[in-house]
Amino acid sequence: MEKLTSPYKWGMVIDLDRCTGCGACVVACQAENNVGICEKQEIAEGRNMHWLRIERFWVGEYPDVRVRFLPVMCQHCQDAPCEPVCPVYASYHNPDGLNGQVYNRCVGTRYCGNNCPYAVRVFNFYPHEWPKPLDNQLSPDITVRARGVMEKCSFCIQRIRRAKEESSAEGRTIQDGEIQPACAQTCPAEAMTFGNLADPASRAARLARSPRRFHLLEHLGTHPSVVYLKGGGREHV
Amino acid sequence: MSEPPVTTKSVSQVNDELLSSLRPPTLGWYLLAFFLGAVVACGLAAFTWQMMNGMYVTGKNRPVMWGFYITGFVFWVGLSHSGTMVSSILRLSRAHWRRPILRAAEAMTVFCITVAGLFPLIHLGRNWTFFYMIPYPNQRGLWPNFRSPLLWDMTAITAYIIGSTLFLYLGLLPDLAVVRDRTTGWRHKVYAVLAMGWRGSAREWSIYHKASTLMAALIIPVAVSVHSIVAWDFAVTVVPGWHSTIFPPYFVIGAILSGVAAVITLMIIIRKIFRLEEYLTPLHFDNMGKLLLVISLLWTYAYFVEVHITWYAHEPIEWEVFSFLSSNYTPQLLIMLVGNSLLPIIFLCFRKMRRSIGVMLMVSLWVNVAMFIERFLIIVPTLSHKNMPFAWGTYSPSLVETLVNLAALAGFALLFTLFAKFFPIVALSDVRELELREAKVPMGRARLSSIAGKE
Amino acid sequence: MKRRTFLQLGGMTVASAFLAGCQGQNEKLIPYLIPPDEGVTPGKATYYASSCSGCPAGCGILVRVSEGRAKKIEGNPRHPVNRGRLCARGQAALQELYHPDRIQQPLRRSGPRGSGKFQKISWSEALDLLSDTLKELQQEPNTGSLALLTPQLTGSLATLTGVFMRSFGSTHHLAYELLAPDWLRLANRYSFGQPDLPFYDLAETRYLLSFGADFVENHLSPVQYGNAFGRMRQGRDTVRGHFTYIGGRMSLTGASADRWMPAKPGSEGVLALGLARLILAGSLHDKAALSNSGIRPEELLARLRNYDLQRVADATGLAKNSIVEVAREFATTRPSLAMAGESVAFQSNGLEAVRAIQLLNTLVGNLNRPGGVYPASADPSTGALLRKESSFSELLALIASMRAGKIKAALIKGNPVHTVPPVTGFQEALDTVPFIVSFATVLDDTALQAELILPDHAALESWGDVVPLAGSRTMVYGTMQPVVTPLYDTRQFADVLLATASRLGGPLAAALPEESFVEYLKFSQAQRFSSEKEEDLELLWVELLSGGGHFAPDQAPEKHYRWASSAVIADPPTPAFAGEANKFPLHLQVYPSTAFHDGRGAVLPWLQQLPDPMSTVVWGSWIEINPKTASSLGISQGDLVEVTSPRSSLRLPAVVYPGIRPDMVAIPLGQGHHGGGRYAKDRGVNPLTLLSLLNGKEQLAAWNATRVRVTRISKKGDLVSAGHPEGSYRGDLIGI
Ligand SMILES: Nc1nc2c(c(=O)[nH]1)N[C@H]1C(S)=C(S)[C@@H](COP(=O)(O)OP(=O)(O)OC[C@H]3O[C@@H](n4cnc5c(=O)[nH]c(N)nc54)[C@H](O)[C@@H]3O)O[C@H]1N2
Ligand SMILES: Nc1nc2c(c(=O)[nH]1)N[C@H]1C(S)=C(S)[C@@H](COP(=O)(O)OP(=O)(O)OC[C@H]3O[C@@H](n4cnc5c(=O)[nH]c(N)nc54)[C@H](O)[C@@H]3O)O[C@H]1N2
Ligand code: SF4
Ligand code: SF4
Ligand code: SF4
Ligand code: SF4
Ligand code: SF4
Repeated sequence: MEKLTSPYKWGMVIDLDRCTGCGACVVACQAENNVGICEKQEIAEGRNMHWLRIERFWVGEYPDVRVRFLPVMCQHCQDAPCEPVCPVYASYHNPDGLNGQVYNRCVGTRYCGNNCPYAVRVFNFYPHEWPKPLDNQLSPDITVRARGVMEKCSFCIQRIRRAKEESSAEGRTIQDGEIQPACAQTCPAEAMTFGNLADPASRAARLARSPRRFHLLEHLGTHPSVVYLKGGGREHV
Repeated sequence: MSEPPVTTKSVSQVNDELLSSLRPPTLGWYLLAFFLGAVVACGLAAFTWQMMNGMYVTGKNRPVMWGFYITGFVFWVGLSHSGTMVSSILRLSRAHWRRPILRAAEAMTVFCITVAGLFPLIHLGRNWTFFYMIPYPNQRGLWPNFRSPLLWDMTAITAYIIGSTLFLYLGLLPDLAVVRDRTTGWRHKVYAVLAMGWRGSAREWSIYHKASTLMAALIIPVAVSVHSIVAWDFAVTVVPGWHSTIFPPYFVIGAILSGVAAVITLMIIIRKIFRLEEYLTPLHFDNMGKLLLVISLLWTYAYFVEVHITWYAHEPIEWEVFSFLSSNYTPQLLIMLVGNSLLPIIFLCFRKMRRSIGVMLMVSLWVNVAMFIERFLIIVPTLSHKNMPFAWGTYSPSLVETLVNLAALAGFALLFTLFAKFFPIVALSDVRELELREAKVPMGRARLSSIAGKE
Repeated sequence: MKRRTFLQLGGMTVASAFLAGCQGQNEKLIPYLIPPDEGVTPGKATYYASSCSGCPAGCGILVRVSEGRAKKIEGNPRHPVNRGRLCARGQAALQELYHPDRIQQPLRRSGPRGSGKFQKISWSEALDLLSDTLKELQQEPNTGSLALLTPQLTGSLATLTGVFMRSFGSTHHLAYELLAPDWLRLANRYSFGQPDLPFYDLAETRYLLSFGADFVENHLSPVQYGNAFGRMRQGRDTVRGHFTYIGGRMSLTGASADRWMPAKPGSEGVLALGLARLILAGSLHDKAALSNSGIRPEELLARLRNYDLQRVADATGLAKNSIVEVAREFATTRPSLAMAGESVAFQSNGLEAVRAIQLLNTLVGNLNRPGGVYPASADPSTGALLRKESSFSELLALIASMRAGKIKAALIKGNPVHTVPPVTGFQEALDTVPFIVSFATVLDDTALQAELILPDHAALESWGDVVPLAGSRTMVYGTMQPVVTPLYDTRQFADVLLATASRLGGPLAAALPEESFVEYLKFSQAQRFSSEKEEDLELLWVELLSGGGHFAPDQAPEKHYRWASSAVIADPPTPAFAGEANKFPLHLQVYPSTAFHDGRGAVLPWLQQLPDPMSTVVWGSWIEINPKTASSLGISQGDLVEVTSPRSSLRLPAVVYPGIRPDMVAIPLGQGHHGGGRYAKDRGVNPLTLLSLLNGKEQLAAWNATRVRVTRISKKGDLVSAGHPEGSYRGDLIGI
């Protein structure tokens, strides 16, 4: 892992034992981040723009069948496979350990999309429109992406920015819990905890030390910033 | 080299025959050029449509972010290995039978790599910003990412386009002088410029030979590197089914396989159209057939190694990808295996088959179809079944992508047709050099080789 | 100006006092009636507190407003029901405000009914038309020819509508919602002698037994219970609450269970009584609690003698050992909690089954205990008025009146044409009503039938107050305020009623003298919180608005549940179903969609785009079929099938669903609108059209007691789902 140049290393802990799969986070993310509205045809073609999806797995057969839900957004890998392949640095690493995406820089090779093992990068195959007056809901804090560029979960970087500006104006560092991405904020079950993993005392860092912790596709060595806590099933009673 | 071409023709007769392609175009030529031009225009229209509307007019999606365009790219890069490899290897190994086919093969390289180079640009989501990838000094201090294989691609392909063009041009030089001397008017002027004052002096010839050999030696590593780098586009990723160390040699072998097959196809077409039966004899096909056989064996070995290792390791997702491919793309897989290994190995073992133009045409065409499918199978099924099963997908090419790919084929053919009309398609001086070399001149009562010593 | 400054300071103080605690210092909560001095500050967001009207749960919201535009809805962290959290519908409510197909001014029908042809008219014309018509009705001897149809309203709007109808002289005020928990109130009255809805202390329980109570998606207060569920699982250091779900279809809630028991539809009551018998037989009951409730264990055990294990296993189709295990776990893991839900209640024996489940709580001492069940706080002022115990019988009565030609005009808030099952005859009966007024915001199925459309404000443009359905033990009173200037020439429903009252004059005008609903609200606040001094009232008002309502601090609840009658527990009758088993072999379950609730969410594109959590289907309807049943019918995922009930048939795509009994199929509610704007129109099917009518006791409608048959039509089901059909079974590849 590379050396951190910032006091922050943002991370997210997702407790699968709490997550009910309700989907509130998916809409919250779409509302917060000007994510395009996709019609049926677009989704049928495999071009849904959601930055966050709830994967639903069926395990076993009736009547011993179970369901497992897995919220998947960009894992903000410390060794992100999407970054080195980008020819123009549109996919880049920021000092807080986030995987950033510069929409204006992206030329649309979609190479990063192939190399992201978590399949969280979505490409603007279509130009997205917000029929009037739906465009009023667009957040002024976030770019409306043009067709032909890649996008994905940013850990709600606009909220991080805001908190940074405010805290630096007040000459302090960001407090634990001060930033909540839209998904974590709305999650009824409080399944998502966002925070500074570089601060061992933060709630996220403490949760991330749980024995139930695991990373998605850990064997690939991407070192994600999203930590999952195992859940579901009698085995954890 | 048991059967050197025996000629009894005069020099001017040979020149006439070999330069026959440069005669004013016939109606047939115009029709062909028009047809190819029309297909290219369709492809251009399709591309324009895509640029105006967005990448949704293709069949790509998440997770299959690459499709027919990159298939086309890898395929054409592969074909471009034909000429240079054939030409340089045979040049360096001094196989005389190479001479009549050199020019066509080299030209093919240039056109293939040019066509190939267009695909990565066509497939960009924002084609108009392609220049972001070029390292040019700018006020923002923005620089492209040299860790990205796409940058390596760009560098390698640019080098290869330049190198192979020079290679072609160098070989063309003496012939341009011949054409210059046989034309008048504006054409004379053009050829005069292109011939760069070639006079055919001994010194010129000696430099020419040295340069050709050097060029041939230099272009081989470039060619190998180009396709290794294209393989790295895949191999350096973490995509199951791509992340494999055998990819570079495997890709190079595949490239040569398709390249050689394409040269054979081309030889047959040129032979027919320009009535070069006397210059492109069964001997040539026999030799090319042997070459194809060897490479096909190599390809079979490489393919077997790849699949075998996947099977042996049985890494769940890797094996999942292979199972998905073999069960959902069975016809394609069979065509590929038949075309790339079964057919060449069975047929080309027999001298009789190698010398049959019909069989050779069939084999070489099948090889190329199979190689296109191979590229497709590497890209599409693999991306369809990446690491996250919930986000698996499917892909089928759209009309736009198909048209662009057809236009690529037509564009290549058109470039070749034009080239053949304006430049000697058979390497005149090379053929004549061989004749000279093999000719027996009377020395007293003895008949000796006209030129002593080796080439 | 002085007073205004004072108010501003007051509001800010309140706002910052609690914001410091929960949201960081970055937000400024202000009530709408105090706009920032220089209008908007560019780039500076403002937060307004209000309430969500996406469903009766009544969650508190904060709306982020920037440059005069609402940008994002967030949960109000101070609100006790949702604690700063929102469900998907709450998040999407923003799109109601900016929906591209909103009705922008009053419309009058210009073509035949249902043709969708309307002409624009002005508000004064519209109000004249309305009051003239109503005046005519008033001339008639029987003023009861006016009907008002609304959802189950709460707060001041409930009172206002009540006063309006009473003063008009009509009793035909129907507050009907398909999913309203009337059944639970009724069961509570029988079991506990009081109708108060329960508040389940889910967060603190150690063993949850849900009989079809789908609290994650719809039941009572989804955000409250979703949150409590998270805390039940991982909110305590050493305890992880266990969850068993009972129901023939694994719902989204059921998907989170540790154990799923697919009992036959209609057998849940038998199961509950069987569990009760096992608990009593094993002496695992809470003796003190039983004697408190005046129940003698021996008597009850004797009463339950028919519910032996074999019979229960046969009736429910469940394995004996798992029934025994659940009985033991439920009785020994205390506190435990049994919940009953709609899929149980909407059977022909629903009432008895729900009561049997309530008996379980009584038996092991779960009543009025941490981790158990308490009566929820209720709205005293409107409780009796609009919170019904049998609105369905009122619906039937209204339909009869309509059929008899007694109803001359109907004012309709809501979309009953879509949400009332057609088997009731409601839609045809409505056709006979000469004058229909709709208060729709988009041209929904009901508005399409209307003579006059008086477009309501969007919720985010409206004033109001909301008493959450059942999300808290203590009193919660939420306020609503406009967060943006109304976009169009629309008026709030309540304002229209007030304007009409004043135009009609007489007792109506006297009973409703307020000029606007804001005034009315302020007035009812004054009454509710009984402050006297004028200045105090203003301050209270500002406090209420800026904080999003009045949330009583935790206080000892006065209300308790106590089993009402000692030995009396009715035997659940054998479930009855519409349609003979040989012709219609499959039980149909219709269930409220996670995203659309009863259908109101279907107009919003974000919700249409949201993959259904269980099927992952987007933008459409589907029918869930067990894999075995599907293969025996030759049906695969995405095939178009025809579902036929004794009443009608529908065509829709099939989803092969491992979490459903082989003798059941299920279709979500919410789609199948004929109107509803571009996103909802002609999308999917409305399964309510399939339902036959079967009344349970007390005319509780049995909406889950219809049988159907399913046949395959073709491959072209037009099903789009977000999850890969095969990949959805390959969690093993990622270790999930
Ligand atoms: N109507 C109107 N016109 C204005 C102004 C206004 O306020 N109103 N403002 C004026 C002012 S102050 C300015 S500074 C100008 C700004 O005008 P422009 O200089 O045109 O600035 P941008 O619109 O930001 O466009 C920058 C472009 O650079 C591209 N880009 C991003 N990365 C790279 C890269 O690495 N290389 C290259 N070559 N391009 C890249 C982006 O895709 C984008 O298209 O506009 C002026 N014009
Ligand atoms: N989101 C976003 N932000 C950007 C940029 C972007 O592209 N996108 N571009 C950046 C760039 S390159 C620039 S230069 C800045 C520009 O940022 P600003 O300097 O803020 O430019 P304007 O928005 O044009 O605002 C200029 C103000 O001057 C007022 N004005 C006009 N004429 C006069 C005059 O004669 N006298 C006085 N006193 N006032 C006058 C205008 O009404 C307006 O309020 O924005 C930067 N910020
Ligand atoms: S909002 Fe929370 S509980 Fe709901 S799906 Fe998202 S993470 Fe899971
Ligand atoms: S999850 Fe994918 S997009 Fe995100 S940092 Fe990792 S590789 Fe990049
Ligand atoms: S699609 Fe954009 S971000 Fe991704 S690799 Fe290409 S240029 Fe970079
Ligand atoms: S962190 Fe923000 S951008 Fe990422 S999934 Fe959550 S809401 Fe979306
Ligand atoms: S539960 Fe109901 S009130 Fe609460 S956010 Fe969801 S829709 Fe709104």
